[in-house]
Amino acid sequence: MYMYVKFWGHEFKINIVVGCIGAFLVAVLSSMFGFGGGPFMVPLMAVVLGLPMYVVVGSSLLAIFFSTMMSTMKHYSLGNFDLDLFLVMFPAALLAGWIGPKIAKRLNPLWVKRVAVIGLTLLGLSLVGVF
Amino acid sequence: MPRNALLAALAALALTAPAFGEEAAPAAPVVTVNIDKTQLDNGGVINISGTAEPGKPVFLEVWNENKVRGSYFDNKVDKETGQKPNKLYISSDLPAFYRIVLPKSEHEKLAKVKADGKGWSYSAALKETGGDLAYWAPAKTSIASYQTSMSASMSGQRGEQLPALEDKEGRKRSMQIMKSRFRSVDALLVAGVEQKEDGSFTAQVKIPEGAPPGKYLIVATTDKKVRSTPATVENNIAFPMRYMRNAGTSLNIFIPFFVALALATFGVLMGAGGGFVINPVLLMLFPLPHNVVAGTVTPTVLFSQASGVVNYSRIKFISWKVGIAMGLATLAGAFIGPALTDLITLDEFKFIFGWILFFLAALMFWQTTPGYIAKNKKEQAILKEFQKRAEEAALAKT
Repeated sequence: MYMYVKFWGHEFKINIVVGCIGAFLVAVLSSMFGFGGGPFMVPLMAVVLGLPMYVVVGSSLLAIFFSTMMSTMKHYSLGNFDLDLFLVMFPAALLAGWIGPKIAKRLNPLWVKRVAVIGLTLLGLSLVGVF
Repeated sequence: MPRNALLAALAALALTAPAFGEEAAPAAPVVTVNIDKTQLDNGGVINISGTAEPGKPVFLEVWNENKVRGSYFDNKVDKETGQKPNKLYISSDLPAFYRIVLPKSEHEKLAKVKADGKGWSYSAALKETGGDLAYWAPAKTSIASYQTSMSASMSGQRGEQLPALEDKEGRKRSMQIMKSRFRSVDALLVAGVEQKEDGSFTAQVKIPEGAPPGKYLIVATTDKKVRSTPATVENNIAFPMRYMRNAGTSLNIFIPFFVALALATFGVLMGAGGGFVINPVLLMLFPLPHNVVAGTVTPTVLFSQASGVVNYSRIKFISWKVGIAMGLATLAGAFIGPALTDLITLDEFKFIFGWILFFLAALMFWQTTPGYIAKNKKEQAILKEFQKRAEEAALAKT
């Protein structure tokens, strides 16, 4: 089943079934193996589905929002939440969600992609146990 | 504290005992403890000295009066029934700082415990080193226990509440909760009491920077029933340091703010929330408990994602249908994942996903090289459009 995504006058044909199976597998594996699977969504959309990077950043954020909400609930029920620390970081998070898109808009899409490459490499390093 | 009153009464009895003459029973053994300061400024070293019965090793118990929460999930197979108990134990009045100082001679035993790595057992270590004599403050903590079920844990609930634990069981579970809260051997146990032949002893305890503020109590013990009157020292912190009540740590509040701002911006720019970098950085900077960091950064990132989605949608950098379809697929996966592993996480296989990520990152980097772009017409068109828009924006400014 194909889905058509329009961006800046171009139409991208993506296989949403592959996308959903990929997202499903990432979620299963990340909850089984105990790591946050969110950042896997970016290469899944950019490399496997071939969406342009500008669409990937927003759509990926939206896609992982769902599972972040679920793990928030899980942590909260276990009492792992610190209100003081949250109140310190919460305004920073809102601000970051405002600054990020402002930078993305002015940044060449190739560089947005390279920033993501840096992020993925960092996460990769932490998963293989470098830090 | 009624316990103090009792100890005082005991001490008084011991002092008056000789008045009954030589025939009276020998004086109850007495332990005393003295410290060199009453105030600390964001941590510091406390020099402890005291007296005890000769030949009886002294254990020191040091704890902070602030309370924190902790939980332990028991999914170890029961030897008798062959089944996993899947019980969750939660306590919300553990001491925010807790340490037992063992005689220096226990150093080697502690090294052995440390060699067990992450899976070390606090109760076994206490028994082995004799430290369980001193284990008193967290032993009476009130523990709520729950029988978890798959459906409850998937929807973020604790499960069915079980009746209150008996004292002995409570003591055992409190050790497991303490271990899962403080994790490292060094946080809970050190070998540092030096004792002379006459029974007098000295020790140093370091209250680390970022440790909770407020009163610290220090009690010396030689026996289950022989505890000294506590010595107390007050740890002070000042703005911009603030105490994080559940994390049990004081920190400069500007640091997590700027860490979250910089890294969440980076995260939003690359299409993730940023939690995967905020978590390790906070843990590197502060002595925070892992699960509290994860449990606090996750909701933080939830808001950076929400704010990112709203602001990306304003500039149309989003496809709602793709995001929602794949988001629902993720949600389904996250429901099924825990059922497959029976609530265990297989930490040791994480590195495989690291290598998958390296591979995907390499592919993405390749997508930014001239060779790939030359072959991809749509990519070229978008780059051209970007340049056109950038030029227009520059013109509009001048």
